[in-house]
Amino acid sequence: MTISLGKRCVAEAVGMFILVFFGTGAAIVTLMLAAGTTPATPFNIGIGALGGLGDWLAIGLAFGIAIAGSIYALGRISGCHINPAVTIALYATRRLPGKDVVPYIAAQLVGAAAASLLLAWVIGPDAVTIGGLGATAPFAGIGYLQAIVIEAIGTFLLMLVIMGVAVDERATPGFAGLMVGLAVAGIITTTGNLTGASLNPARTFGPYLGDWLLAGQSLWEFFPIYIIGPIVGAVLAAFLYDYLTSE
Amino acid sequence: MKCYYCALEGKDSEAVAICIVCGMGLCMDHIIRKDIDVWEGGYPLPSKRVKTPMPRILCPECYNALYAK
Repeated sequence: MTISLGKRCVAEAVGMFILVFFGTGAAIVTLMLAAGTTPATPFNIGIGALGGLGDWLAIGLAFGIAIAGSIYALGRISGCHINPAVTIALYATRRLPGKDVVPYIAAQLVGAAAASLLLAWVIGPDAVTIGGLGATAPFAGIGYLQAIVIEAIGTFLLMLVIMGVAVDERATPGFAGLMVGLAVAGIITTTGNLTGASLNPARTFGPYLGDWLLAGQSLWEFFPIYIIGPIVGAVLAAFLYDYLTSE
Repeated sequence: MKCYYCALEGKDSEAVAICIVCGMGLCMDHIIRKDIDVWEGGYPLPSKRVKTPMPRILCPECYNALYAK
């Protein structure tokens, strides 16, 4: 007997809200702090103008710590996927019932949208006009297909860590939240200035929706990058881990 | 082993269980059975409650110390 689907969906929405509020909130604040500086190249949009790669490490840690906290708080209730790519990968490897997939993803999208809209309200218009609500898009010089591959590789590592430290029954108990959070922080540090390092369709959906509703700025043309890349990466990692650990 | 509470009352009853907390011998009249739900799993899958709860025997004093409000 598990906790009811309704309660699990609430947990997914709350976990996703925490991820987007604190994670994209860090990106918004970094952009607001850097506003007025003149970046040296178009590759630098402001994140990195003050602290170089340290800016991305800080944003990565904001995401990572929020994710770790959510996993420790909500992991027993819903599994705390807080990522549609993770939900789909667990379904693809027959670990999650099919009937749970759509409600989980819907809850994650609701949580992400609520966080982005609330960020816009509590920070004010600059969160949208300067911070772009922390939306992700390929950086200068990164093509569409390249961005998909980068997102896939990043999510591949994330899912591989989830499989190794949490799904595998031989894993040392208690470390999953910490290691998954640190993995996200590391991935964001490296790939943040390439694609925004979403690794998560819902994490990108929230800011896109907020920017579209509040500023009329449409980034939806890039959304397939953050759907295809993370899902492909996560599913590949889950199947690879199962293959590597099978007798 | 004899029941501690019965011994206090001057009775001589065989113990049928011991308190898991203090180790006191208890007869059927003085045991308190407080079953515990067992949950399996966790992140990244929801925990599942095992159908059969785990039995736990307590003496009245330990039960009160743990659960009295």
